[in-house]
Amino acid sequence: MISAIFLAAALIALGGAVGIVLFRNPIASVLSLVMVMLALSVLFLLLSAQFIFAVQVIVYAGAVMVLFLFVIALLGPIRELPTRRLPRQGFLAVIVAGGFAVLLVSMLGNLRYHAPANADLSVFGSVQNIAFGLFTTYLYPFELTSLLLLVAAVGAIYLSRERRS
Amino acid sequence: MALDAGTLQIGGESIESSWFLILAALLFSIGSVGILVRRNPLVILVCIELMLNAVNLTLVTFSRQLQNLDGQLFALMSLTVAAAEAVVGLGILVDIFKLRELEDVDDLSELKG
Repeated sequence: MISAIFLAAALIALGGAVGIVLFRNPIASVLSLVMVMLALSVLFLLLSAQFIFAVQVIVYAGAVMVLFLFVIALLGPIRELPTRRLPRQGFLAVIVAGGFAVLLVSMLGNLRYHAPANADLSVFGSVQNIAFGLFTTYLYPFELTSLLLLVAAVGAIYLSRERRS
Repeated sequence: MALDAGTLQIGGESIESSWFLILAALLFSIGSVGILVRRNPLVILVCIELMLNAVNLTLVTFSRQLQNLDGQLFALMSLTVAAAEAVVGLGILVDIFKLRELEDVDDLSELKG
């Protein structure tokens, strides 16, 4: 059952990823990315990361993707010309990324691990545990994250200001 | 020290953690193909988001395999950074599109020496 859920989510994610690259229409690409993110959120649940699952669905598949769709709607359709800089660019790109994928898979496929720490898996990745980590060990990076978000928000407002010519 | 091959016990069933890692590697590679092939800056941003998500899957998988919550916290941080990156990237894109029509990311090569 678990393997079936994994296989279904993995196939949906891979299909969506291929769709992102192949669809000509940017809206179709963004909707494929939403599909990938929802499939990955299922995998996060399998890996007992409940909080990351919720954040993935709400923040990523919800908010960030709506932002992408807004921008596409704002800019209108962009005509995408076939590439003209490098002959056979698609072919070369697939070769390079394929070689990279072979390297990654051969590295990740036969890793050996130390024995796990025997954490209590019934609460692993729950909101309480995540919050405990965030507000004790990682308090400083967590507070810096809020600063990062503030800078990003101010920067986005600055970029989208009205220009006086 | 004893090393094991990384089998996860999920819901009474065992599943290799390397499956998750290989899936993440494939998603990352597909995202890099998209960045190399597509000309539309918006789709390139979408592909970057795909690669960031693949890395998040790797972090969460290692976190579960080693039963150490640090990986999930790091995934949370990278999610935040990805959201900030999307906001600023799209802001820059809208700003560029206000100035001129753009058909290809290679049109933005004024800084080239």
